[in-house]
Amino acid sequence: MENLLVNEKIADQEATDAMAIADEQIIADLLPQKFGKWGKIWTGFLLAICLLGMYAYYRQLRYGLIVTNMKDYVSWGIYISNFVFFVAISLVGSLITAVFRLANVHWSTPLTRIAEMIAVAAIIFASLIIIVDMGSPERFYNLFTHGRIQSPIIWDVIVITTYFFISILLLFYPLLPDIKILLRFKERSGNALHKFYNYIGSFWKGTPEQFKLSDKAINILCITIIPVAFTIHTVTSWLFATTYRPGWDSTNFGAYFIAGAFLVGSGSVVVAMYVFRKAYHLEKYITENHFEKLGRIVVLLALLYLYFNVNEFLTPAFKMKESESAYLNGLFSGNFSPVFWFAIIIGMILPILILVFKKGRKPLPMFIVGIMVVVGAWFKRYLIVTPTLLHPFLPMHDVPASYRHYFPSWEEWAITCGSLAGALLIITILARIFPIIPIQETITEQHETVK
Amino acid sequence: MKPLNKTLTGLLSALLLFAGYNGFSQGAEKATLSIAISYFNTNNRIPYVAVNAKSKLTGRFQPVGGVAIKLYLDKDSAGTFIGRVVTSEKGEAHTFIPPSVQKEWATSKSHTFLATFDGDKVYDPAKADLTVGKAKISIDTVGRSVVATLVELKDTTWTPVKGADVILAVRRLGGDLNINETPTFATDSTGKASGDFKRDTMPGDAKGNITLVAKIVDNEQFGNLSIEKTVPWGAKFKYTSTFNERTLFATRDKAPIWLQLIAYSIMIAVWGILIYLVFNVIKIKKLGESTK
Repeated sequence: MENLLVNEKIADQEATDAMAIADEQIIADLLPQKFGKWGKIWTGFLLAICLLGMYAYYRQLRYGLIVTNMKDYVSWGIYISNFVFFVAISLVGSLITAVFRLANVHWSTPLTRIAEMIAVAAIIFASLIIIVDMGSPERFYNLFTHGRIQSPIIWDVIVITTYFFISILLLFYPLLPDIKILLRFKERSGNALHKFYNYIGSFWKGTPEQFKLSDKAINILCITIIPVAFTIHTVTSWLFATTYRPGWDSTNFGAYFIAGAFLVGSGSVVVAMYVFRKAYHLEKYITENHFEKLGRIVVLLALLYLYFNVNEFLTPAFKMKESESAYLNGLFSGNFSPVFWFAIIIGMILPILILVFKKGRKPLPMFIVGIMVVVGAWFKRYLIVTPTLLHPFLPMHDVPASYRHYFPSWEEWAITCGSLAGALLIITILARIFPIIPIQETITEQHETVK
Repeated sequence: MKPLNKTLTGLLSALLLFAGYNGFSQGAEKATLSIAISYFNTNNRIPYVAVNAKSKLTGRFQPVGGVAIKLYLDKDSAGTFIGRVVTSEKGEAHTFIPPSVQKEWATSKSHTFLATFDGDKVYDPAKADLTVGKAKISIDTVGRSVVATLVELKDTTWTPVKGADVILAVRRLGGDLNINETPTFATDSTGKASGDFKRDTMPGDAKGNITLVAKIVDNEQFGNLSIEKTVPWGAKFKYTSTFNERTLFATRDKAPIWLQLIAYSIMIAVWGILIYLVFNVIKIKKLGESTK
């Protein structure tokens, strides 16, 4: 009997030791890593694009919006397309973190931080690009002094600010236990980063009371972020739908935008998880199973978005009202048809065809599909804005020919590319500072699995 | 055939081919411009002349813009020059009869307006003329009837015109509305044409004023004459402004109450939660510090 107890004790001790070793291994694997050669090249590349964008923005500030090709017809050009794209992509934070967490989906744990980083970066640049679109940035102040609560633009400003703060909190709270771990590795993180970790999270001791408060806060955030996320993109869609124009005059726009947002958000997570997995050798944590499961979600979202697109375009095309025919024909077979069919085929149909097969849900095909979805989604936003503005119900008389066409100027392209590079730079920097995969949560889940 | 002859033959053939090609002969053929003149006098004030230029393109008459037309009174000379006008994109232009031809205008009971176009790269020169007699139209009311009187200048006296078609109407924003179902009224031997006003519910201005109009249109003898009279026969229009009501389209201080309630409640609720969560961080911080 005594021998049996001793044996059990030894077995328990061995299991605890093994778990400790496993914990240390997880920590070693998931600690933020310094940039390697490619990391530095990547960061430098993004910085260069950002600088070019900043120079173009300087020119816009110096000479005014005249440097853009926006005229009286297309007064919302590539900037607003980009804004809608950023708002759409930011919704992924609510899907991966909140919806999955509330639905008790545990496999998504390694993806939550990636999703939150993408959400924070995207929402920052969604706000900035609106200020760029205003021309004179000081006009932003007027929104607060003269804004009307009746205007969907004000709703958008309010809801974007709210979503930004929720996203920051949702990134911050789950980070606290990881900060405690990061503080143990001063030599590895360096003085500056150590000070930063110390500043933002040295108070975290990991006591049960602290965990209780933190878990409660995360749950509240997860519940709050879902309606706010739905609101942010619904309100963005209303910026268009409350305006009487061909292509925007739709009651379907809110749901249509949200479906598209979840698709592009998931696509961006797929791309990010593939890149981080490769760059930081995280194959043990972001497994093929994650790609398999996320692939199923992406195919479902692509089908849903395709369904909304059929609704948005088939019924008006069937009626082909005189006032909308130029707009619709322009999309289906006119000037915009290459971009339109590119967005539909590359952004939706091909991803569906690839992802319905098991082989298509392997990491590399998923990565390619993710890029297709994201690029297709960007062009889709361009199509939501520009063709409609070129075909008003009441055309202006005697406008110069240049008003009837729109192609962004180099300054617009540079600012847009700069903003996209800026968002990627924020994700890159966040991934350098914080663990891409939540360390503490991974350890806890590991322990639960062993039990 | 010698090589030189072959070359010459080839060049000659090419020249002949080009000579027969329409594209080269287009510059030589000019289009015909058609000019029409109209005479107008409103409220017996300074009369004016309008011209309309058009040309046949692809089997249909199309207005011609940018055409310079000179207008003369009775004869083409410097002393009778009315003015030079350039047609709009609708092919129209007009000019008042200037004081410089007042003397010429007073000499006769009827006049001929001359329009000349000297021609340009696209159109051949063109001319048009219009003869009108001097006439006056007046308007009056008897009870709820409208009476118009048309007189013409014969020798030195104003003589009633019999049998001219007069339109009696009410001036509205988009056009003139006849005073009853009859489209035109013929003048009698006294030059008078009258009709009963049957638009009793017609909205007028704040005082109920409406503008009656009597006019002859494209008359062969007298051109276009019209005269107006304001009468208080309309319904008084009371403008009720919605500007100060609470609507979605009003100013910020006039936002609907329901919207304010919903919007601010949501904002307070959500931001209340966010502030609570920030305080939660402070709570966690304090717990951590007490653990030391």
